[in-house]
Amino acid sequence: MRNVWLVAQREYMEQIRGKTFKITTVLLPAVFIGIMAVMVFAGSWGSGKHVVVAAQNQDLAMRVRDQLLADKDAKMSVDVLAPANEADRQTLHAEMDRKEIDGFVWLTPSPDAKVQVTYVSRSAGDFSTNDLLQKAVNHALVEHRLVAKGIPAAEVAPLTGTVDVKTMLYRQGKETPSSALSTLIFGEVMAFLLTFTVVMYGMNVGRSVIQEKTSRIFEVMLATVKSTDMLAGKLIGIGAVGLTQIAIWIIFGAIALSSALVETWLSGYARPQVSVTEIALLCLYFVLGYGLYSAFFAGLAATCDTEQELQQYAPLAAVPVWLSFGMFVYIMGNPNSIWSILISMFPPTSPITMAFRFAAQFPPAWQIALSLALLAVSIYIVLWLSSRLYRVGILMYGKRATLPEMFRWLRYS
Amino acid sequence: MPPVVALDRISKSYENKVAVEDLSFQIEPGSMFGLLGPNGSGKTSSIRMMIGITMPDSGSVRLFGKPYERESLKRVGYLPEERGLYKKMKVMDQLVFIGRLRGLDPAVAGKRAHEWCERLQILDAVQKKTEELSKGMQQKIQFIATLIHEPELVIMDEPFSGLDPVNASLLQDTLLDLKKKGRAILFSTHRMDQVEKLCDTICLIHRGRAVLSGGMREVKSRYERDHVVINFDGEACFLHHPSVKSFKNYGGQAEIELHEHANAQDLLRAAMEKAVVYRFELMEPSLEEIFIRTVGEKIDA
Repeated sequence: MRNVWLVAQREYMEQIRGKTFKITTVLLPAVFIGIMAVMVFAGSWGSGKHVVVAAQNQDLAMRVRDQLLADKDAKMSVDVLAPANEADRQTLHAEMDRKEIDGFVWLTPSPDAKVQVTYVSRSAGDFSTNDLLQKAVNHALVEHRLVAKGIPAAEVAPLTGTVDVKTMLYRQGKETPSSALSTLIFGEVMAFLLTFTVVMYGMNVGRSVIQEKTSRIFEVMLATVKSTDMLAGKLIGIGAVGLTQIAIWIIFGAIALSSALVETWLSGYARPQVSVTEIALLCLYFVLGYGLYSAFFAGLAATCDTEQELQQYAPLAAVPVWLSFGMFVYIMGNPNSIWSILISMFPPTSPITMAFRFAAQFPPAWQIALSLALLAVSIYIVLWLSSRLYRVGILMYGKRATLPEMFRWLRYS
Repeated sequence: MPPVVALDRISKSYENKVAVEDLSFQIEPGSMFGLLGPNGSGKTSSIRMMIGITMPDSGSVRLFGKPYERESLKRVGYLPEERGLYKKMKVMDQLVFIGRLRGLDPAVAGKRAHEWCERLQILDAVQKKTEELSKGMQQKIQFIATLIHEPELVIMDEPFSGLDPVNASLLQDTLLDLKKKGRAILFSTHRMDQVEKLCDTICLIHRGRAVLSGGMREVKSRYERDHVVINFDGEACFLHHPSVKSFKNYGGQAEIELHEHANAQDLLRAAMEKAVVYRFELMEPSLEEIFIRTVGEKIDA
């Protein structure tokens, strides 16, 4: 036990003093804040698109334009072309070719007094503009029809006025303001930090094994320290570095969130609700997730000879991460569906997906307990396999071990 | 006093190769033991079993008169052939760390590290990172790391390989010094010529088996002194003396192999009649020759 402690201490000091630790501690939140800032500012700048509303009926076209311009955030410029005919459509195509306009809305009356609307644009996948158009056209149509039915123009606006639905989060017997967006962002932040630390520190363990292997220190160490003690010390030492980093982030995050600057910056956004329990659980998920990934990479690293060889195994960590983030939107929307529950039970993905679920809706205690238990069991199994690979592998120099070789190593007593 | 190391018929094989077979020997305190043999003959495998890095398939290892236990390793200093240091660690931190792993108090480890660095004249380097040091300096630090806990048994696997001449003689002196203090020392090497004068006891192994072992003098006395080196001035016709089996004459110096049981003194008398003899040496066979004679093949060194 004394040796485990000494090895852990050495590993911790070396990593804490290293450049990587300092850089990632500062850079990671900086990059993250940068990305968020860009997202927020880009959103407030709007798309600045130039579109043409073309219709036979001028009143309808004007109303659509007014609706589009009413959304100040979108910063659109809108022209009206009415009455429009098929020849005008060719002109609009030509304007699009010359990149003078980004797209046009084409409104044609159909035989059953309904209106057919098409939006022709140079870019597909512009959700926010499509969304805006959808609302604007429908709103304008309602107004247009009301006027056509003889409702006085002055009464139309109050009749068609819309309201915003305010979202509140009910938790622990209290209602607190919330917004889907800030919850989404919060879930993403937590998952991102968790992923980054779990995978990064997991890989760090692998890298440290390789370094000890290439510096030929292992045999010197093994003459006094058991290989399992070395492995345990390494996992504990590097894991402690990860926890230190997370602690630094939490402390600075708490200070930042309570500062006046952020107060004004976040005004209008509902603040995400985090409880101490959640933070404690996230730390626990970090520890266990890290345990799983680091044990896995320690075993693999022992079979490799260079960092490059180890890098080839990196996708094994990336796949569960992709899978988790791929499920992000789904889990946020359906935190209690069977798929959300299943993926948050699967040990390689549970730390990340549980972070999503915490943000969306706090899961039942038994699910947390079960996912933690499954994670713990899988760590035990991976550690058992890895320590065997490790024990044999660290004294094998030459080339990367093949799969059959690894199986043979597992059988050595 | 029990032997420091006692191997009793240990064997180890890896999937397609027998590394060590039925190897037995003992190392007494205050003696220097040479484990000799060509590359790949099983030296490192034997050493690894001695200190429990690997376990023998059969046979037993006793350290300090007791069956193998991890606690004994604190009394052993081991310098492997593939030896390294933590590159990013400062020399002093590294030595203290290794000392502590072997049960030393941090203060004691620091004091001893300082003394050793002073003795080996690398005090300037103690606050530097290992990666900033020259190879020769790193080698010195490896010696210190091996010896910092004052082990009763020092095991060095190919200690002389890759050493510069200065460090090689430094190591020799250090080892002799340790022997004088009653420590047991084992080292392995494939360069038999380097160690002839150092070893008290040897074990020659070949393909995992001991082919020759015992006290150095005793081993050598089993072989006749049948080589003569002679430096002379004058006629060389004595080289055709009946006791001479073959010779090489370099003019002024001749190397002669005698017939079995031939009397070298007769040859000397014959030489003195015809020439002025400056030097006449009846050589004992070198370890290397003994090895070649025993296993009947060349060493692929």
